Amino acid sequence: MNYLTHFAADSSVPLASENVFSVFGFSVTNSMLLGVIIGLIITGVFVVSARRLKIRPGSRFIYFIEITTVFILDTIKTNFDGDEKKARKFLPLFLAFFLSILFNNLFGLLPGMGGTIFLHSGTDQIPLLRPFTTDLNGTLALALIAMSTVWFFAVKERGAIPHIKHYFSILKPWWNPMNFFLGPLELLTELIRLTTLALRLFGVIYAGEVLLRVITILSGNFAWAGTVPIIFMEIFFSAIQAYLFLMLSSVYLAMATTPIHDDSPDSSHSPSDQKMTQVEAVN
Amino acid sequence: MNLSPELVKGLTIGLGAIGPAVGLGLIGAAAVNSVGRNPEAQSKIFTMALIMAGLVDAVMVFVLLIVFTTK
Repeated sequence: MNYLTHFAADSSVPLASENVFSVFGFSVTNSMLLGVIIGLIITGVFVVSARRLKIRPGSRFIYFIEITTVFILDTIKTNFDGDEKKARKFLPLFLAFFLSILFNNLFGLLPGMGGTIFLHSGTDQIPLLRPFTTDLNGTLALALIAMSTVWFFAVKERGAIPHIKHYFSILKPWWNPMNFFLGPLELLTELIRLTTLALRLFGVIYAGEVLLRVITILSGNFAWAGTVPIIFMEIFFSAIQAYLFLMLSSVYLAMATTPIHDDSPDSSHSPSDQKMTQVEAVN
Repeated sequence: MNLSPELVKGLTIGLGAIGPAVGLGLIGAAAVNSVGRNPEAQSKIFTMALIMAGLVDAVMVFVLLIVFTTK
């Protein structure tokens, strides 16, 4: 018999999220529940503010939404080398990424998430809500959407066979065995990008949750004072990781949709390629 | 030889946190040096340094995952 009770528990944050209820044999976990709720909230806010669109924004809330959208548009535009039409084409996707990741991370710090509201089913108790990004399934889904957009638009821009040939001809004579070996390595790089996009976001937010739990247990009676700096650190890391996901996926997309120039010997480095080698050198 | 889980966890986090810490220190040093050379580009350098710090922090997270999932 399921019933709701409110008290704080002292078990650690589990790695996999637990099932809350099942719909026709498809089980819904508590992180999926929060992900869907926040998705509906963001969609509702944007649909309502799009209906009330005027030349001068009516209320301060719509002004705030416009500021956010323009900020993300400028961030993407610097990655696409100032091409505004292309940046506008991909703006909804990146807006959805940034806001969804940011709000999912921040809602995990509110009271009641993952620790205090429980659902009793049988003998064990499971938390009712949990941030979507502390579940590896959630971040893997986000990374898959990002990378499949990159691959789809790369194939659409260049064609399937020239795109695969592009990997093998990074250095000029492609039949040279040393240069040919770069081909599978470059293909492996694509898979590694997908994996690190997913694992980086999951790891940072999940480690933050566990750290919060450990500091709460260690502080004992002074948990109200000890967790305040940790919560500030978590807010900072949530914003950084959302911004980082946005930048990385837009850089991958910009690299994949630049047309290949392979006629003159010194044009094999486009400006976004130079930016990319800077970023990849640290990764 | 039978290693206890606590020993594995301790060694992992102890040796694994050296790399990202040194990396973050290098990023900070390079950022501060370049702001010293060119104080007008401070916001651009700060943004890029934060992005690099986020990338290097992810390596720390991979180590932390091993620590949390060892029984």
